[in-house]
Amino acid sequence: MLKRTEGIVLNNSLFGEADLIVTYLTRDYGLLKVFAKSPRKIKSRFGSSLEPLTYSKISFMGKEDANLPRLTQSDIIKTFHALRDDLKRLLNVSEMLELSLKFMPEREPHFAVFKLLLGTLTKLESDCDNALYLLYYKIKFLEIAGYAPRLDMCGRCGTISYNGSYSGHNNFYVSHGSIICEKCIRDREGSIRLSDGTVRLYNSLIKWRLSNINRVKAPAYMLSEIGHVINSHIAYILGRSRQLRKENFAVGISP
Amino acid sequence: MTQGIIENLITALTKLPGIGRKSAQRLAFFILTMTPDDAKGIAFAIIDIKDKARFCSVCFNITDTDPCNICSDTSRDKERICVVEEPSNIIAIERTGFKGTYHVLLGALSPLDGITPDKLKIIELAKRIQSDSVQEVILATNPNTRGEMTAQYITEIIKPFNIKITRIAYGLPIGSDIEFADEVTLAKALEGRREM
Ligand SMILES: [Zn+2]
Ligand SMILES: [Zn+2]
Repeated sequence: MLKRTEGIVLNNSLFGEADLIVTYLTRDYGLLKVFAKSPRKIKSRFGSSLEPLTYSKISFMGKEDANLPRLTQSDIIKTFHALRDDLKRLLNVSEMLELSLKFMPEREPHFAVFKLLLGTLTKLESDCDNALYLLYYKIKFLEIAGYAPRLDMCGRCGTISYNGSYSGHNNFYVSHGSIICEKCIRDREGSIRLSDGTVRLYNSLIKWRLSNINRVKAPAYMLSEIGHVINSHIAYILGRSRQLRKENFAVGISP
Repeated sequence: MTQGIIENLITALTKLPGIGRKSAQRLAFFILTMTPDDAKGIAFAIIDIKDKARFCSVCFNITDTDPCNICSDTSRDKERICVVEEPSNIIAIERTGFKGTYHVLLGALSPLDGITPDKLKIIELAKRIQSDSVQEVILATNPNTRGEMTAQYITEIIKPFNIKITRIAYGLPIGSDIEFADEVTLAKALEGRREM
């Protein structure tokens, strides 16, 4: 049975001599792995369309329960190659792709995540080095997945912060995935101290739309504090062994 | 009994890439008709490669002598190192008549798969450049995202050595038609155009 959808290539892996297994985030089937015959041969009809980040219209053949449908066609809609051609940008974007690969189950449609990825890549393409997009993507992804850190209320007693922060006492606990208020704190170990501005920025970001992000000018220290919270949080959820790997790249930039 | 040994060979042959059950059957029956010398030649060549093959300690090519034939050949241009992902790439480039030396990375960077720079022979390349009189490094990693990423990373690492760093050109495959090239391939070919 032939099926059609649109998808963004998250990753591909070598299979046999000249074949690939391509992992897409699709509009209609969520995370989808397909088998592509001979794309590594120079005269393949798939051309460059199976490279990571490529957004295309795809057709694939497979029975409902077949675990590896076969890709029959892919027509490029957008290549996003500006994000792929530069090492630092690619490392940053890889973190976005990695979230989908690690958190999403296969073949469960998730239009919100697809829209978020496509939207963020489109914005990033014209504003390549705006670190806020990467942060925004991670926060919104975690929110959709139900894992977003809570910086707006105490993870123990549920007290809501006053005026968007805990006035100089913002301690984020990775083990709780939230801030814990002064009254509830027992042990300061393992907490990340955040400035009021950072907490307010985070609480706004999570509510904002993607189209408003380019109007935000945030100081570098806030971006780095949020980046630290988000990355520690992701690492905690995924478990030590599976944390995001960009730290291993000496030249990678991190917000 | 006959069924058993033929079946064994067929099963063994299907372990090769691109060989399905049908091809394995055809090969097995062909081997049956070969002269004992020819058939044993194949068998011994396989045994030999498994017993003696190792990586060259200089370039990481697969070899039975260390350093490998290419590294120990005094007629080759040691000032030029061609960097490739896999030993099999050397065989392809050798066919072009290239007379420099090689460096095999044994893979390409892929953060999503956990292939970080420390997993590749990049430091070894830097050490070679540092100790030998290398003039040019030719980056011949694959023309895909991983290969390009690897080429850029290596460039960052070896730039301080102040030698010539080149990247093989992107282009259209010879014998193909512009009409059938996708936009990325074509854009890269335009970018890499030369004056005539
Ligand atoms: Zn509390
Ligand atoms: Zn060698």
